[in-house]
This record gives sequence, C-alpha cells and structure tokens, in this order.
Amino acid sequence: MPHTVTWLDRLRIEWVVWSLDQRLYDLPSRTRIARRREVRANLLAAAAEVGAAEALRRLGGSRELAQEYLNAELGDGPRHSWIAASLFLLTTPLLLNFFLDEAANAYQQAIAAVGPHIEGTFTWHGVAGLQSSVTFVFHQGQASRTGGAWTPLVYVLLVVGAVASGRLWRALPRRRNQDSPAAGEAG
Amino acid sequence: MTSSHDPQLLKGVLSLLLLHLLAEQESYGYEVAQRLQAAGFTDVLEGTVYPALARLEREGRLTTRLVASSSGPARKYYRLTDAGHQALATGTTGWARHVAGVDAVLARPLPTAPQKGS
Repeated sequence: MPHTVTWLDRLRIEWVVWSLDQRLYDLPSRTRIARRREVRANLLAAAAEVGAAEALRRLGGSRELAQEYLNAELGDGPRHSWIAASLFLLTTPLLLNFFLDEAANAYQQAIAAVGPHIEGTFTWHGVAGLQSSVTFVFHQGQASRTGGAWTPLVYVLLVVGAVASGRLWRALPRRRNQDSPAAGEAG
Repeated sequence: MTSSHDPQLLKGVLSLLLLHLLAEQESYGYEVAQRLQAAGFTDVLEGTVYPALARLEREGRLTTRLVASSSGPARKYYRLTDAGHQALATGTTGWARHVAGVDAVLARPLPTAPQKGS
C-alpha cells in the first residue's frame, strides 16, 4: 500500500542520511556524496512503499551501514583515517602553543619578580629544538616579547605525527585496489 | 518463503545473488533489495544490500547510471559489466561445485549414536 511521505518523514530520513554522512568522512568526497544521494533516494522510495518507520528499520543503524560502506570502499583490513590525522593537526599546534606560551610566561614572570621597575633586554633560548629564542624587553615595568617561532623540526614532527596518527600510509594506492575484481570471487 | 538465513552463509553468497538479479534486470538499490526479499531472503536488510552493491561497483563488476524518478530524486540503476558477467559465470560454477560437495558429504549415512557408558 503506497504511503504518503510527509515532511516529518523527510526529516527523519534526512537525519539518518546526515548521520551516515558524518561517518563517511574518510571516503573521497565524490564517493561520499554519491552514497548519500543513493541512500536518500532509496529511503524515499522505500518510505513511499512501506512507510518511513519501516524503511528506516530495514536500513539498519547508520553506524553499521557506514561501517559496511567503509569496508566496501576501503576494504576490510586496517585502514587510514583522515579524521584522526586532521584531529592531530588541529589539536597539536594548539597544545604546543599553549605550553610554549606558558613556559615563556613563566620566564617573563621570573624576571619581573626581580623588581617592579626592571629595565633591559633578556633572551630566553626557548624549548631546545622546538622554538627559536625569545627576546623580552622590559621598559618601565612593561614587557614586550619577540621570537619563539617554531623550528623546522616542529613542522617535520607535525607531518610525521599526522601520518602516524592517521595511519595515512594505508591511503596510498595499493595492489589491493587494483586486483580486487580478480581477487575475490563473486560468492 | 524462507524467513531466516545464516548471516555468515548469506554474506558469502550475497554478491553472487546480486549479480544474478542484476543480470536478469537492471535495478536500483531499493528494488534490488525488494527482489531479493521476494526471492525468499526476507530478513536481508537493505543496509546490507547497498554496501554490497557499492563493493561490486568498486570492483568493476557493476556500472551505474542515474535515471530521473517522478517520485523523488534520481535513482542509481546498476547493471553488470563484462567483468560482472564473467564473475557471475565463475561464481555460479563455483557455487554448484560447492553445493555438490556439501551435499555429497551430508548425504552420507551416519553411524548410530554410541550408547552412553559403553
């Protein structure tokens, strides 16, 4: 018996499609968009035939569906994660800046503790290997700070860390992608 | 109608079933799932069928085209490629051999069960 797909049904479908999409971020964007459109079209067709509730029930959970799609596209074995690599690249610089800044603040406060009207220029060599020297200029009790930039080693570590945390070497083209049609038989 | 199938057995043969259904007739995802259910696999979730189609497409066994639908967004129709037809033929032969082998073993008479304490 045909069912009318109401706006509420469409919203429920969109919610499932959206939550599926959120779990497919490791797929190339074109593939992800194609899967999203396909699932939406199929759900709308199913909802028109059996109702939205039954259509969604027969789809299974979006988590399981996303896992199946990821397995289908990327293989069953261990795989890369762009999300993990992005998370590393976003959080590590923030944390690194926070700790380096705190260290510089501690140095500045230690100098300021000598006297409230201290004058002069002071150089702190920074955290060895991670940043350039930081120069503090004290004038009439006010301090200004220059330097402290990351060294090239930090950028290298960021790249290495992103590759390691996201296991990005697994994203490189492999024989698995090329021999799949011939590898597993239809069954 | 069969109401339930061993998921592990079904997983192994789902691709072959999908290839055969699509060799019979070009279909979109939901329709394939419906045809599979109509064939007796009533407990197969659509969420299992769609990724299986995606896998076959990635493997080059299926090709797709978008067809406008009057009742909603364009539908993605699947049909077999040459590699798909070849995989279907190979898979069907393999399946028949597999079934014959299993049947041959299962048809053997079993010895009578040993008595307890003997």
